[in-house]
This record gives sequence, C-alpha cells and structure tokens, in this order.
Amino acid sequence: MTIRTTLIIGGVAASLLAGPALAQDGAALFSQSCAACHQPQGQGIPGAFPALAGDAFVQGPPQQVAHVILNGRGGMPKFSGDLTDEQIAAVATYVRGAWGNKAGPITAAAVTAERNAGALPPPTDGQQAH
Amino acid sequence: MTQPSAFPPTRRMFLEHLAGVGGTPLLLAGMSALGFGIEARAAAPPPLTGGAKGKSVVILGAGVAGLTSAYELSKAGYHVTLLEARDRVGGRSYSARKGVRQKELGGEEQVCDFDDGYYINCGPWRIPYWHRGYLHYARTLGVGVELFNNDNDHSYIQFDKGSGPLAGKPIRKQEVAADVRGYAAEILAKQINQGALDETMSKGDRELFLSYLRNEGYLTGKDFKYIGTEGRGPEINPGAGLNPPVDSKPHPLSDLLQSRTWATLQSVAGYDQQRTMFEPIGGMDQLPFAFARHLGPIIRKGHVVEKISQTPDKVTVAYKDAKGQHGTVVADYCIAAIPLSVLKTIDMQVSPAFKQAMSGVSYALVGKIGIQMKRRFWEEDHAIYGGHVYYDDPMIGSISLPSTGWLGKKGVVLGYYQFGSPAAQVSAKSHKDRLALAVAAGQKVFPQYAENAEKSFSIAWHRVPFNMGGWAEWSDEGRKTAYPLLNEPDGRIYLAGEHLSYLTGWQEGGIESAWQQIGKIHKRVNA
Repeated sequence: MTIRTTLIIGGVAASLLAGPALAQDGAALFSQSCAACHQPQGQGIPGAFPALAGDAFVQGPPQQVAHVILNGRGGMPKFSGDLTDEQIAAVATYVRGAWGNKAGPITAAAVTAERNAGALPPPTDGQQAH
Repeated sequence: MTQPSAFPPTRRMFLEHLAGVGGTPLLLAGMSALGFGIEARAAAPPPLTGGAKGKSVVILGAGVAGLTSAYELSKAGYHVTLLEARDRVGGRSYSARKGVRQKELGGEEQVCDFDDGYYINCGPWRIPYWHRGYLHYARTLGVGVELFNNDNDHSYIQFDKGSGPLAGKPIRKQEVAADVRGYAAEILAKQINQGALDETMSKGDRELFLSYLRNEGYLTGKDFKYIGTEGRGPEINPGAGLNPPVDSKPHPLSDLLQSRTWATLQSVAGYDQQRTMFEPIGGMDQLPFAFARHLGPIIRKGHVVEKISQTPDKVTVAYKDAKGQHGTVVADYCIAAIPLSVLKTIDMQVSPAFKQAMSGVSYALVGKIGIQMKRRFWEEDHAIYGGHVYYDDPMIGSISLPSTGWLGKKGVVLGYYQFGSPAAQVSAKSHKDRLALAVAAGQKVFPQYAENAEKSFSIAWHRVPFNMGGWAEWSDEGRKTAYPLLNEPDGRIYLAGEHLSYLTGWQEGGIESAWQQIGKIHKRVNA
C-alpha cells in the first residue's frame, strides 16, 4: 500500500471544473468508506458511532476535519494511506453539505497542507495480525 | 497499516511490568521463568489460598477474561455471578456454524448455513505455543487442540500491485524465499570477495561469514553464485524408475524485486506468529463452552448491564434480562470484563479520571469472511495444506486455508482478513457484496474458487454489538497515562480483558489479565 501521489492544481479553476463531479464522487466515497459506521444518512449509532448530520465539528474548521480523516481518532481509522487528498476533499465537502449540514467545501490543497503538516509516515507493508 | 500487536515486549517492558505488580502470586509464577527468557510471563493461575471469607463477586461479560475470573474465583469459594448480555458465551472467541445468527449495527441479519461440522473462527483463530494460560485451560478442561499451519512454504503470494512478470499472478512462496535469499547472499559474498569488509572484519570472521553466506544462499562452492536450489521446488517432481526430478530455474532478481512479493517473507516470523501454533479442535468456542459446563448456573445469559454503581462497601449492577425485566445484582466486588469500546457507553460510577481513561484507547476495525467450499481444491489441485495466501489488496489481506478437516470433502476458507480503513470500506457492503469481493479475489489465485464457493458468513467486528471492535489498540501515550489507571481498581470495580495486557488481541491477554485482577481481589480480601 502506498500513498498515492497527489497533483495540486491551481485553486479556483480546479474547483470550478471539478464542481459537479466532486459532489458525486463525495457521495460515492462516503458510502464506500464512511457509511458502515456513520450510517448512510450520517445519523450514526448513538453510543457507538458519532452522527455527522448536524454535527458541529464536521461543519467546523476545515483543517481539523481533514486532520481527523487523515489520522483517525478514537475508534476511527486513519485514511491517509487509502484516500488521495482529492478524495478526502471530496468526501469532506460532501459531508459538510449533506443532510442539512451547511458548511463550505474543503479543497484538496487544504488536505495536502494538513497531510504535510502532520508529516504522516507512509503505511508499512501488509502484515498479519492475530 | 500498522501491526496491531503491541509485541514484542522488551526486557525493559518486562522489568517495568514486574515492578508495577510486585508481590502477587502471579508475579512469582512469572519470575520463575525470568532466567529462561520470557516464555512464561504467567504460567498458571494465582493460587487463591486462604479462603474467600464469604465474599461475592459479580463478573460482567462471558468472554475468556470473564470466564477465567468466574472459574477461578468460584473454585476458590467466592460467591460468583457472571452476567452475559448475549445468549451465548465466548465473546470474540466465536465460531460461526450452522444456525448462528449475527446482526451488525446498521446491517442485515445473517444466519450461518454451513453444513454440519463446518465452521469459521470469526475472532481469534490461533494459539502460539507460548500462550501458556490458554494451553493450561485447554489441558485442564479437556479441550483438544490440533496444529494450526501458520506458514506454508508451498502457498501462493498474489501481488497485483507490483510490476514486472511476477506481478498479478500467484507465485509459490518457496520460490520467492529461496531466490531472494540466494541473490542477497550472492551479492554480499561478491562484495566481501572484492574487499568491501576488509577494513571492518577480521580475516577469520570474513571466511566464516562467507561460509555462512554460501550455506544461507545455497551458493555454488567456488564462485559463490546462486543458480537455484531444490528448495524452491523442482520444475517436475522426482518420480519412480527413470524419472529424476527436473530442476527449476530461479526468477530473475529484478523480477522478484519489482513484484514486491518479498514483503511477505517476514510476515509470520514474529514471536507471536512462530511455529508451533495450535487451534482448538472443533472451533474457538470450545474453551468458552468448557468453562460454561463447569460454571453452570453461575452464568446468566441475556443480561444486559445498564448501570454499575458502588458504595464503600458494595457494588450494584443493574441489568435488563432477555424478557425485558429489570433487576440488580449486589456484590462485594465487580470485575467488568467487557471491551472498553462497550464499557465506556455504560453508566458507571467511577472517578472522572477513570471514566476518561476508558476513552484513551481505540479499537481495531476488523473484517473476516468464511466461505464454505464444495471441495478442497487447494489441497487436491494445488497441494496446499493450510497456511495463508498473501494478497496485496488491503481489502483481502490474506486468504487462509483451513488447518482442520484435512483431505476431507469440503472446507471453510477464510476469504479475507482486513483491518483499519479497508475494513471500514468492506463493512459498508452487504454480505452478498462482501462475498463477491472475496470470490473475485480468490478466483485470481485459484481458478476453482468461484465455482466451489457455496455458502458464506462475514463479520465486521467494529459493527458487532457488545464488541464494537476487534481488539484494543493502545497508543504509546495511552499506555503511559490511561492504561496504568485502568489496571487498578476504582473502588470495588476491577477491569479485565485483552485490553489490559501487552497481548492485545490475543485470548492469552484476557486470561492473564483476569489472573492478575483476581489475584488483587483475593489479596485484598485476605489482607
């Protein structure tokens, strides 16, 4: 497993071009990577998995949201080795605007900045566990 | 993906541990082995001598930690009640067999329909030889064990993400192992013969090292070349009469390097993966069942804990039973042998620091699927008996062949074993789609895979009620701060489980943690 290389394209032009496709990808990525725990409508499961719908953290500062997706938190796994910065931006943008959430998008550049700030180690080669 | 196990323990960790728990009978058992390495941290349960003084203990959770606690304490004369939320014992020591039902949070219900006698171990599935607590109970409670093949030389490595001619197809592990050893030894020997170590190694040592390399890499006697070895498997097997074996040729070094298949060779070399390894005959639920037979009515199934409260003298556990009736159990002490991922959601009267510490650990996301195959094509057609097919798709991880039912008719294959975010992704799929994912991968390795896959049972531990995760994963920070606090009681409430050990994810961790905590309670009672 390797971190896929990330191309950073200039901000405004990229977001205009990628607009509708991004939202679609975000929804698909959400159902692939997030819905198993946070549930299809972002409602979570009380006591087990936090709701994302109506959640203040999700709609808060973009870099904190990017940080949690990249690094994981509590029972949540890190996605730094599985999703590109574009994908993380797409899914975060989707979550921030779905189910009544009203926060603005997160750019891939913001995710990249957070990834670099954390100097995330590359995932190691596959290993057996218990 | 990081290795979930916190192993190996270092000498330093060991000594810290001894200092931390000093004085318990358990420690003495462990101490006896100190001079002989770390094989036996605790080889036997603490001797609970001196009487129970009429005291009572309520134990929460009938996984191996709870069962161990209940078994030893009741044997020592304590009044024990064991509350279990589900209608079965064993917790994660769980085998899916005909009639087993499972409904994940947010998922559809599954009923296992394997043929009679077939099963998949959904949780733990192997017992290292040095897990002496587990083997102690297997021995004394009459649970038979059989060898678990954790390393199969003739199995395949399927690496789709590498490049070159060896990528994207199954390669026998023995070929990769022999060839990379051979080439590495050849290159090193060449460097030495060209004087690369003249400055740093004595002549005598250089000669011995060269002898080692010739031996290690199957190199030719004079010029230290690797030209293959019979250990990588012949092109054609030896036969009778005029049929000598036909030698195979090594893969080119560059092909091997680019394929990245070499990354698997250290997979089962770790201390907790080495041979000898066992599994209980008949499924991982056999030890819990054996405990349950001894405990009888002490175990109260279908009792979901709702609240744990305490005074200076007593602990009260409020529960709801399977009929919806509410009740309480009052005891002198409580051992909560429930995963922290679940315990932290229960209303519990402990200090704020203790409560906060319970959130200081994360739980592994883990997925497995068992697929019943109509015939044992991996044995019949591929001469693979047990062990793992390594797969570099993190959604698959490994495909493992059963170490039971050898040469039989059918068998249940572990179709994937994934962790972390890939486990999150696979668990979002329906059971049907999980099976489709597993079968598509298996088909690349074995052409007979899809046509033989007839039944399946999948599990995503992070979505299983009363477990909410595969095993505890402590950060270094959590080990320093939260972990020591949770190892000590809060008033009359003690915790036990794999999460309170350096053997996280192993049943041995649950057993030895239980031994430690019951030792502490008994010492307190007899103080």
